[in-house]
Amino acid sequence: MTTEHNVLGRSLPRVDALDKVTGRATYAADVYLPDMLMCKVLTSPRSHARIVSMDTSKAEQVPGVRAVITGNDFPDRYFGSGAVRDRRIMARDEVFYIGEPVAAVAADDEVTAQEALELVEVEYEDLETIVDPLEAIREGSTLVHPDMPNFEGYGFAMGGNNCTLLDADRGDVDQAFRDANQVFEETYHSQAINQGFLEPMACAANVEANGRLTVWASTQGPYQVRAQLASVLDIPLSSIKVNAMELGGGFGAKLRLAFEAFPALLAMKTGRPVKLINTREEVFTLNGPRLATTIHLKTGVTSDGQITAREAHSVFDVGAYLGAGPNAGVGHALGAYDIPNFRLRSYGVYTNKIYVGSYRASGVADMHFAVESHMDSIAHQIGLDPLEFRLKNVVKEGDANVSGASVPANGLLETIEAVKEKMSLPRKSEEGRGIGISLGEWRSGSGPSTASISVNEDGTVSLLTGSVDISGSDTSLAQIAAETLGVELDQVIVAKRDTDMAPFTGPSGGSRIVYSQGKAVQMAAEDARDRLVGLAAERFGVPSEALSCEGGRVYVQDNPPQSLTLSQLAAASLTSRSGPIIGMAALSSMPYAPVFNTQAAEVIVDKATGQVRVTRFVQAQDVGVAINPMGVEGQLEGGAVQGIGRALSEEMQIDPETGRVRNPSLSTYLMPLAIDMPAIENILVGVPSADGPFGARAVAEPPGFGPPAAIANAIYDAVGIRIKELPLSADRVLAALQGQDGDEYHIDVEALKKAETG
Amino acid sequence: MARFEYLEAHTVRQALSMYRRHAPNVRYVAGSTDFLIRSRMGNWNPEYVVNIQHIPALQRTSFSRRNGLRLGALTTVQTLQDHESVQTHYPALAAAAASFAGVQVRNLATVGGNICNASPAGDTLPALLAFNAQCLSTGPEQGEQRSTALDEFFTGPGRTVLEPGELLTEIRLPRPEPNTGSLYIKHSPRGAMDIATVGVASAVTLAADRRTCKDVRIGLGAVAPTPIRAYAAEGILRGNEITPESLAACAEEARNTASPIDDVRGSAVYRKEIVGVLTLRTLERAVEMARDGTMAFETQRRLAVQAAF
Repeated sequence: MTTEHNVLGRSLPRVDALDKVTGRATYAADVYLPDMLMCKVLTSPRSHARIVSMDTSKAEQVPGVRAVITGNDFPDRYFGSGAVRDRRIMARDEVFYIGEPVAAVAADDEVTAQEALELVEVEYEDLETIVDPLEAIREGSTLVHPDMPNFEGYGFAMGGNNCTLLDADRGDVDQAFRDANQVFEETYHSQAINQGFLEPMACAANVEANGRLTVWASTQGPYQVRAQLASVLDIPLSSIKVNAMELGGGFGAKLRLAFEAFPALLAMKTGRPVKLINTREEVFTLNGPRLATTIHLKTGVTSDGQITAREAHSVFDVGAYLGAGPNAGVGHALGAYDIPNFRLRSYGVYTNKIYVGSYRASGVADMHFAVESHMDSIAHQIGLDPLEFRLKNVVKEGDANVSGASVPANGLLETIEAVKEKMSLPRKSEEGRGIGISLGEWRSGSGPSTASISVNEDGTVSLLTGSVDISGSDTSLAQIAAETLGVELDQVIVAKRDTDMAPFTGPSGGSRIVYSQGKAVQMAAEDARDRLVGLAAERFGVPSEALSCEGGRVYVQDNPPQSLTLSQLAAASLTSRSGPIIGMAALSSMPYAPVFNTQAAEVIVDKATGQVRVTRFVQAQDVGVAINPMGVEGQLEGGAVQGIGRALSEEMQIDPETGRVRNPSLSTYLMPLAIDMPAIENILVGVPSADGPFGARAVAEPPGFGPPAAIANAIYDAVGIRIKELPLSADRVLAALQGQDGDEYHIDVEALKKAETG
Repeated sequence: MARFEYLEAHTVRQALSMYRRHAPNVRYVAGSTDFLIRSRMGNWNPEYVVNIQHIPALQRTSFSRRNGLRLGALTTVQTLQDHESVQTHYPALAAAAASFAGVQVRNLATVGGNICNASPAGDTLPALLAFNAQCLSTGPEQGEQRSTALDEFFTGPGRTVLEPGELLTEIRLPRPEPNTGSLYIKHSPRGAMDIATVGVASAVTLAADRRTCKDVRIGLGAVAPTPIRAYAAEGILRGNEITPESLAACAEEARNTASPIDDVRGSAVYRKEIVGVLTLRTLERAVEMARDGTMAFETQRRLAVQAAF
């Protein structure tokens, strides 16, 4: 496949590599404008309280302070990041978690702004607090938002603190459980984690001479920021321009409006540009992380290891606001398996802590740990090899997926085979060493996508899309354009974009850029190519079909010397009947294209201390076609590293009484280092998708969600203990080795069922 | 971050006089690796900061077989790690230094600073305790000098015997005994850039028969309000034959000595559990080193930071 291509499928260096390694790339924090002010944010020290009074007068008198804003300075409006409009951009009369913004200051410098914050006087009256989601979901629990039923967008849920309820059903689950030879029930729990992006949030805002608001944002979704900002400021969307700056990692945390509204309102008040740069502590306390999830699974199995039914009840802590929709992971309770009968429920639950955000396959990652651990656990209990048990049940082409759609051709079995061979499975390791596997599914991301391509008079190609580069997606898009137009990668210029210049596109998230945005780029490039060919056909007096566009020229297939370069054609186009060469494309959604992966971890467990070390990690993923194999491998490795960190050491410790984040720093929130990483071996499997550009599938999400289950399963293989809670920390492993019951969490499934039927 | 006046001293006398002039709200800083963090967090708010980093007299290190090791208070942690005499004669200290934070911090952080911060988890402290370190300090008024044994130096978390304005100037380690082995093992979730959940340093000196324990000193970190010596555990081994049983009994006693707390880095229960494990491992390795003489520094470094593997 790749041999037919010139640019596609080659591990070319990123188009932005030089700018990034030389420090020339411009991030939001690098925006400097004349007379710029710095903004700092005051946050609530209370878990849940009424704001009795606020006095900003002392802060306003500090020399160098130019403006102080509170929630009362914003229009009286709610907005939402998930389904429900449950949130104010800044607290007005009530705070719902420790860390909720209550005021912001713009001053000549950050130190002055910080000093002024300390002079803002807020009187609070404490209200009842609920922090534990498993308690919060119980009937009669303290309510976080008593007025939830009135929130715009609130729909089907149980009420109380339950703000969202997603479900999926098929067949007769109860009968299937009765018919099964064995039924297994387990509860798993995954911890709260931070996205761990390198670049703390930053944004700047300025009111232009024409009255329009310009925002420089560190964002994955400039159009989402524009829309939400317009909403919270109650100004027309068209009066805002969002510049999407270089992004130093997002992983879902930067999909939506963050704090852009604070410098924006302060800029409107002062008439001066205002910039806000988060500290690392604020990255942990101001910005929505992934919160904890508890999942109860029940599975019926026949005597020969066929799964007949699954029931799943998952409780997703959403914190004070539904900042994202984590319980969308509900359908993934089936895993990559064909299960005829199921009843799946997932509950989003309000609590008094920082609101939930998105993080690389939110919800799905939690579900994956539960499902793939559960599969392993069942296999051992029924005496089957874990791989064999999975192979008996994996979903195949033509099976119906959770929503009933037919599963198209895919490379799941190839990924399993590849890992099996590389790891020489099945094999028994010596005591204290073990191997575990996990497999999973993701759907190539869809959503509105646009692209515009113009061919310049010198034969270069300008590519304009509204999507922000993450993980090298600009390079992949440029490769798609270059391949389609038959030019080299360095002939493609990728424009830096803002919301005025580029057409609307969905955010860079959910593994959608290469699959969907890439498709739009391919279509736009084909459009431009057709125009080039059409123009050449006119000049040569031959039909378009007789021409090819390759190597920077359009030539007659039967007589290649008869040709025009792209430069000549672009120059000629300026005076041609059809005008300059421009290609455009837009689409709103893409067909279902699953992405399957298999991962295997090899571990050593120190039985005296409980410490686990991953010594080898192998992963295979069906990427369809790798547009840039080096970029794909980078994505796979990055995902594995994040997943290994989530498995072993990362945990946002949240105070059970107050909801306060206890470890808001990189010295206490332990992301892994290079020294902690095993060699990571990547295998790219390629079963082309039917509709992706050149057959590509998505890449980003799956590598991140597999490691916790693979490592937990490896620990079981090594020392015979099943840890059902993340992280798989040394103290937890040691306690289990000493025979302590690890079941730390319990969902009252019967009560949930009763609430549904009653 | 709070505002403060910044002063730079080039001699000990100058530093002390700066202190006297601006007392009492003055803080000495050297590498500032702790100061900048705590200042930014608002925990330390001195009006005056006296930087002692450029005082040449505090930067000297020397070693002789007769006098042992002398470390100026400004000796960086990276120097401790790289110093040939430290690696050869006080290997647990070199290994502890290697396990300390990351290279950028090691290049700035000083051994004096690590001692004066008196963190129960300070990485160099268990090893310095195991080598019977003495702390020389100079008082602010008449420049009076005194020497304090390190195990009497700490009075609580972040607290020491130093009087206000008194400056730690030098750390002295007695000369190395023959037939001695020593090792530091740190338990932390990460392999680097991490603070010890528990840290243990043991130094074992064997008698001429190579079976009897002539002397043993065990330093424990992060399991009590200050770094501590496990005296009772040492007493079990000292003068007795080294056997798997005697080592295990010694380690068990060290475990009993520990009185850890729950914090973000680990639970008290877990810390108590592994302090015995780590003590046993350091003792076993130290005995091996005392018998065979050497262990490659790279091996020690790996043992120090990746306790289990």
